[in-house]
Amino acid sequence: MLINGSAETEFEKRRGVSRVEVRHGFAQVHISRIPNDVMTERLRILDLVAKAGISIDFLKLTPSGMSFLIPEPTAHQMDLVLEPCGDHFTVREERSIVLVYAVNIRDEEGLIAGMVHTAIANGIRVDHIGDMHDRMLMVVKKSEAEKLATLIKDTLTVPEVVS
Amino acid sequence: MKIKVMKFGGTSVAKPEARMTSAMRVISAKEQGYSPVVVVSAIGRKGAPYATDTLLNLLREIDPNVEPDPRELDMMIACGEIMSAVIFAHTLKTLGHPAQAFRGGQAGIRTDGVYGNARIVGINPISLLRSIEQDKIPVVCGFQGVFVLNEGDPGGELTTLGRGGSDTTGAAIGAALQADAVEIYTDVDGVKTADPDAVKEAPTLRKVTYDEVAEIAHLGAKVVHPRAAEIAMNYGIPLWVKSTFTDDEGTEIVTRETFPGRRVTGVTHTGKLVYLQFDLIHAAEGDRAMLESRIYETMAKYGISLFMLNLSPSSTGFAVPRSQYPIVEGVLDGLVIPLSGEEKRVYLVQIGSKPSRVVETQASLLSSLGEVCRIPTLLTEGCTMVSLVGHEYMQQPGVFLDVLSTLVGGQVTVLQTSDSDYSLSCLVPEADTNRAVKLLHDRFKLAEVS
Repeated sequence: MLINGSAETEFEKRRGVSRVEVRHGFAQVHISRIPNDVMTERLRILDLVAKAGISIDFLKLTPSGMSFLIPEPTAHQMDLVLEPCGDHFTVREERSIVLVYAVNIRDEEGLIAGMVHTAIANGIRVDHIGDMHDRMLMVVKKSEAEKLATLIKDTLTVPEVVS
Repeated sequence: MKIKVMKFGGTSVAKPEARMTSAMRVISAKEQGYSPVVVVSAIGRKGAPYATDTLLNLLREIDPNVEPDPRELDMMIACGEIMSAVIFAHTLKTLGHPAQAFRGGQAGIRTDGVYGNARIVGINPISLLRSIEQDKIPVVCGFQGVFVLNEGDPGGELTTLGRGGSDTTGAAIGAALQADAVEIYTDVDGVKTADPDAVKEAPTLRKVTYDEVAEIAHLGAKVVHPRAAEIAMNYGIPLWVKSTFTDDEGTEIVTRETFPGRRVTGVTHTGKLVYLQFDLIHAAEGDRAMLESRIYETMAKYGISLFMLNLSPSSTGFAVPRSQYPIVEGVLDGLVIPLSGEEKRVYLVQIGSKPSRVVETQASLLSSLGEVCRIPTLLTEGCTMVSLVGHEYMQQPGVFLDVLSTLVGGQVTVLQTSDSDYSLSCLVPEADTNRAVKLLHDRFKLAEVS
């Protein structure tokens, strides 16, 4: 095995985007115009959502409310849960998550900003963003998910670097 | 041949006593029938005479206004590991165990051509194997390799591997040699549920999956670097994190197939962030996308790392490392964004509540062109990202409520949140870091985890 082992082995994935995947089936909830004590009201609403047994992702705090993602089949349930909030909420169905895989993404400086720029500059509205050690997750309209996936594959898959 | 790769971090090789302890661990492995291969970091951490930062300063002190060439920077900082490897090899020799020091290139590590952040493209371990065959202990410089542009070129260009480079060297050599184990030695007992500075009673995790450890490292814990975890995972090499200075059994990094993981794994924090929130509510609706596009394009162009991104119809925001904030301020404060359209509006970014001289000057120069729309940008300095890491729990209803109510109930202000399949992060004031970590650690009963 070893002693004559002059054969070289590929070790690390190349820098940049290695794979793009799309997950469908989400809805996005926006809650806005909370007049007073915004954090207490956010917690009250999250409590209602949790008691309804609805799992949420991509929670983002906004100055007067918050937004989050839910599984699309629970969208109709959300209308009932949030009814006490009056008309200060919207539920937008047909959202998808575009997962962009890039190993060690945080150490590739500017890559995350570059992905967001690529999306926005091409007219795609990104609703939410999250990241992990090896991937970035972008929430967009279902109708734009495949376009974004293709754009990122085409523009951000970095060729091997040669000085 | 049973090979064990043993990687020693800066504190494990910093002083003669520490080196002796580390060397005795190597000898013990040899006596147990292993062929040890050692990988070392530079001697000592920040401030130590031969630590990486000290070597960098030798160049930067010449003239702080002239940035050294990346090629020369790599040659300079690689000296720390070279010294460390030679000293460690000689320490082993004085203990009666012949050893040979290897630079990254001599150990057969080839990289791509990115100075300062190179990636390993291949390893030819023949020289290490010859050394083992001659009953010597190879001691390899971590953090470095060589880039060969054309086959047959003499020598190759020395490159360094960037953050976590020595861990990456250890895992990659383990993979190349098909080692029985890669052991990462440090000054803590293993991977803990939280930083012991924040939670003294934080226990050591006995097993943790590659994914979890990579995410923990990504979110700020100083454990195995994600690159090293990924190499070990891809090649099926058993990976351990152990203390040089105690006999604790350490943490074994395993696959999800052999260990299903736990509900919550730990709480991490990554500090020294600055949060920027760009208010676009007064911008014309049709202009907002272009404004956002310009802001993110600028951040990409200047290589800024972004955390906690937030996009909404009326604003966009993100956190940046404090170390990069001067660049961000320099390129965004006073940035003029002219938009072509019928009305030819001009936008001007203003960071902070009071306009800087740059913003005032730009506004004055632009006034003759007509209306200049400001983009007020809320600046929050001194932030930290505190994260709850776990796999099973993140999909359950109520997790956000649990985390937010725990922090808010503990009088910690939550500025923003972010999440993924493995984690939930909150941006909090830096002054509250330890309290936030402790609150979450207690709430999720992590002191009971093993």
